[in-house]
Amino acid sequence: MASREFIYEKFADYYSNSSLNVPQPTLMGQREFGFLLLKERAMVRHKSFMEIKDLRRFLSENVPSDVYHSCAYYENPSFEMDKKGWLGADLVFDIDADHIPTLCNKIHDEWTCGKCGFAGKGITPETCPVCGGVKFDTKTWPCELCLNSAKEETVKLVDMLEKDFGFASKEIRVFFSGHRGYHVQVEAEAVRMLDAMARKEIVDYVSGLGLALLEEQASEKTVTGRRRRRGSGSFSLHDFGWNKRLKAGMRKFILNATKDDLRAVGIRSYALLQNKDAVLSRCLEEGRWDSVKGVSVETWRRIARHVKELESAKIDTVVTTDLHRLIRMDGTLHGKTGLLKKEFPAERLTSFDPFVEAVAFKEGTAKVSISDAPEFRLSGKVFGPYRNEVAELPTAAAVLLICKGRAEVV
Amino acid sequence: MQMETVRFTENDLAKYPFLKETAEYMKKLGLKIEELENPEMAPILDRAQERVKEAILSVGVGRKRENYVEIPSFPVAIMLAIATKNSFIKKRYALAEAKQAFSDMQYETNERIMAIAADFDWNIALNRNPAIPLELAVNFTDYLRNTTHLRDKNWKLVNRLLANGKVYLNKHDAARLLQEEVQRRIEKRLEAKELPSLPEKITAMAEQLLELAREKIGEQEMEGFPKVVSQSAFPPCIIALYEAASKGRHLSHVGRFTLTAFLVNIGMPPEKVAELFKSFSDYNERLTRYQIEHIAGERGSRTQYTSPQCSTLQTHAVCTGSDALCRRVHHPLAYYRIKLRQRTSEPPKK
Repeated sequence: MASREFIYEKFADYYSNSSLNVPQPTLMGQREFGFLLLKERAMVRHKSFMEIKDLRRFLSENVPSDVYHSCAYYENPSFEMDKKGWLGADLVFDIDADHIPTLCNKIHDEWTCGKCGFAGKGITPETCPVCGGVKFDTKTWPCELCLNSAKEETVKLVDMLEKDFGFASKEIRVFFSGHRGYHVQVEAEAVRMLDAMARKEIVDYVSGLGLALLEEQASEKTVTGRRRRRGSGSFSLHDFGWNKRLKAGMRKFILNATKDDLRAVGIRSYALLQNKDAVLSRCLEEGRWDSVKGVSVETWRRIARHVKELESAKIDTVVTTDLHRLIRMDGTLHGKTGLLKKEFPAERLTSFDPFVEAVAFKEGTAKVSISDAPEFRLSGKVFGPYRNEVAELPTAAAVLLICKGRAEVV
Repeated sequence: MQMETVRFTENDLAKYPFLKETAEYMKKLGLKIEELENPEMAPILDRAQERVKEAILSVGVGRKRENYVEIPSFPVAIMLAIATKNSFIKKRYALAEAKQAFSDMQYETNERIMAIAADFDWNIALNRNPAIPLELAVNFTDYLRNTTHLRDKNWKLVNRLLANGKVYLNKHDAARLLQEEVQRRIEKRLEAKELPSLPEKITAMAEQLLELAREKIGEQEMEGFPKVVSQSAFPPCIIALYEAASKGRHLSHVGRFTLTAFLVNIGMPPEKVAELFKSFSDYNERLTRYQIEHIAGERGSRTQYTSPQCSTLQTHAVCTGSDALCRRVHHPLAYYRIKLRQRTSEPPKK
């Protein structure tokens, strides 16, 4: 209980003293706002605000744990869903470590069987190894490896949005989500009226779903849609779009390939390794795919399939195709971490450090009793690992542990 | 910008009477509805009737006439189709005109194609990049608006050359996309409900066309689903969702929606669907009932939702991979329908 009050107090503090950090969303008067209130533990939706100062006042008076606004623009944002009058929506992407296989194997996440109480670490199993139960309580952790994987996916996504879809870099807004991933939001006029089906096609493009060349029945056609001459076995990849990504990815794969790499993608002949130069120039550059003995078109297809996995961006498909989605608002606190959703320029993607730049609470300390937490880093300091101990921590670290259910105030 | 300088000739308008400029031509002509019964208007009226009739019979629009007949016959044909108040005729007519336009457009120059595209507010230009062997470049939003419901994998954006926001196309493909625009524009015009009072001759013609259509539709009437739900005819994706749900395993939002809509679509009563979700840890009877009734169209907007098609399920990773029948269909409901039919035609097993 004391912990909940502590969080309330800190969030209230933030919204009364630093609410100027909450920037005004584009066309805010046409958006729906939603809040998860800390005290009431209830979701409040269908709110609308004409001016940012009204919203900031609402935040300091009501103290939500989470703040959202619609990606959609409405004629009447506060009306019920059927009567809102949809005017368009931003094109949004959510990249969350939950959807990506990561190097850490989620070893920092914990699960407890809801039936027998058996607990473990890592990826939650389908069924409980002890009792066969299928319901679990999970505790996740925003780790550096997870966030780095999410960042790599974001880099690929932004590259496609710029080079393939042609959005100017100022049209592509990139945010740390405040928890385990990144949001990319495109507010360009051109995308507002895209329907759910068109957004689905964009999702498929970004994730490489349905890419021909990889599919048996499409093997007779080139990626540009031209039928290749029968028996010639040749078509070349262009230096644009997915063609370019495939070509560059395949080149990289071949240059670095070992026998193990080939086996891993299901290739059993090592002819590819004997004459890499010929393979690169004759097959990949000239497009005569079956011109090197022992390297079949099927071999190429396997490589292409592997490269497609590497080059595609793993996004949460549901978010992008939902025309009415609520998304966390920039500059507000995340109820599961106490970190901020934070915008930064796309070109700073590789150097952006969420554990420094998204820290909201910069003053004071708090004494907490920690049940279990992995080592973590905040504002340049390293903490933990902790196990059943009491520690005096900077506010941000204490808030993070409490929000994640790993500690209580003492 | 350069597109505004292209002027359409009367020959163009005869071929593409759906262009905005036809309205100006008609204005100058000053044709009045009452005059349609005059004997000298007979060729126009006949041609209009032929347009719709050919559409119903063969999805064609018949042989072209002199410009002064051909151009005005189009708006008259639209009026005729509206007068039938029959959605099959309207759909069919729009499709027929669009298909005709497609076959004509393939013989046009790139410039003419661009001019027609500009009439639909496309952002289109000649490709000036010698590295790309395709003549035209169109904004990806214009491309998507006209391809998302085309089924061939070749139309998927991921299989196109997309660079800098432009999709590169040859003339044939651009014309094919314009066919979609034409069809939508005509369908939109056919939505009009209010009609001026029509001369008797026209109402009689509409009646004849309706009769013709009835014969035609009779052959292909839609069959509904039988009352009994047959679990053994479920497609693989639905089986997986159904099993997961009955075991109380977590289902994604798309998964839940797909399963619910599918079951409702094939005629399972909402209260039976609700029972299926009982084993969920976050089960809430009132909320579940509400959601199911919403999907069934008994609440809220009153539209009954249809379960998503295969490609959508693939996007959201609900598709579990396909069996032989899956490869022939594009919708889980189609799978169910076919499997049911196959099973009823087989002798019952002992």
